[in-house]
Amino acid sequence: MKKIRVTLTVNGHTHLFETDPNRTLLEVLREDIGLTGVKEGCGEGECGACTVIMNDEPINSCLVLIGQADNSNIETIEGLAKDGKPHPLQKAFVELGAVQCGFCTPGMIMASKALLDRNSHPDEEQIREALAGNICRCTGYKKIIEAVQSAAEEMSHE
Amino acid sequence: MEAFDFLVPANLQHLATLLQTPGRKLIAGGTDLIPSLRQAHSLPAQIIDISRLRELRYIREQNRIVHIGALTSFRDVQNSRILNEKAPALVQAAGQIGSPMIRTRGTLGGNIAHASPAADSLPALLIMDASVTLSSQKGQRTQMLCDFLLNPGKTDIHSDEILTDIFFEKPSTNCAASFVKIGPRRGMTIAIVNAAALVGLDNDGRINQARLSIGAVAPTAIRCRLTEQALIGCLPSEKLWESISSIIQEEISPIDDIRGTAQYRRRAAFILSKRALNAATQSLQTRMQA
Repeated sequence: MKKIRVTLTVNGHTHLFETDPNRTLLEVLREDIGLTGVKEGCGEGECGACTVIMNDEPINSCLVLIGQADNSNIETIEGLAKDGKPHPLQKAFVELGAVQCGFCTPGMIMASKALLDRNSHPDEEQIREALAGNICRCTGYKKIIEAVQSAAEEMSHE
Repeated sequence: MEAFDFLVPANLQHLATLLQTPGRKLIAGGTDLIPSLRQAHSLPAQIIDISRLRELRYIREQNRIVHIGALTSFRDVQNSRILNEKAPALVQAAGQIGSPMIRTRGTLGGNIAHASPAADSLPALLIMDASVTLSSQKGQRTQMLCDFLLNPGKTDIHSDEILTDIFFEKPSTNCAASFVKIGPRRGMTIAIVNAAALVGLDNDGRINQARLSIGAVAPTAIRCRLTEQALIGCLPSEKLWESISSIIQEEISPIDDIRGTAQYRRRAAFILSKRALNAATQSLQTRMQA
């Protein structure tokens, strides 16, 4: 197996490395770059725990081969806080109890961020649709949807 | 995942050359392929990544024909002004595939080439009488989509070919189309049954065009041509939709599987056909009244 050279810009930092091609973007983010906020749940695109934003669009990082991500721009949960302050989505998730075990939270927040980047005032139906690919087994979703609504509200005052 | 070499063609011509060597596997969006690569015990020695071949990602209209590049994502389909106007059932189908993350990566060409009997894009394309273009170093050939789909996971593509273009004639203005699907939940669901319908009405309000396609009730998504014939010349009504039930049952051959029983699928195929025909008719009647 020939190694491949990959350039990734993750949360504003550019990484150059050589790796085996039979790895996913998720594996490289966690194991090589050390960003363990991105989680592996199902490994087949069903659960959304591995959601990151790639070139401004939400994706399942478990379903992208690392070679396919060459030269892409990736945002993960670790890149959201600015100047030591959490992103409004992070703040709302904590304050409104949208986090219980926390395993789905990074994926939920990145899918929500991809929504708010496009639509700053989503209605409940649009939020539910944007999070249809993210499974939470603790909270029952109601508080997650409220947190996204609250973050959207706060961001509109910024 | 087992080991493989990763090849990236610079353009379509380069890809055609790479496909001269047998046994290489193409990856586009990867949403179907990567889960199966993970479970596979023997992998192709070489995987060709076509996900960034920009020349196969387009939606355009030329001389009354709508062309869609094989690497067009479902999100592109949802956002396309041309397809919202000319192929609303395809837009409805794209919007019900997987999750937003799957729709970012998943491609129309991949959905067709993977040839799942439950693929949501297929009924929506079959009612457009869509064709596909297959390209290789030898040149190009086109085939009607209904002939291209052979069996679950099996199409008429040759090992040196790539599916490059999907095309259909722009529908006439006096018809409308609709897509419906049923699964265990609304989001992130593989259809137990899906269906698309296109209905055209003449000035007296009688059906002069009828196309019905149902998925997951036969080895491939199918067109229900006998049902279509039975509808021509009739006035749309609840009674008419009820009357086609027995013809639909003749045209489908569903099986029991993990997602549903054959008996359930027979019932669902009829109900979804009614819903798709009714939605298309109502959308057309509203437009004609406006």
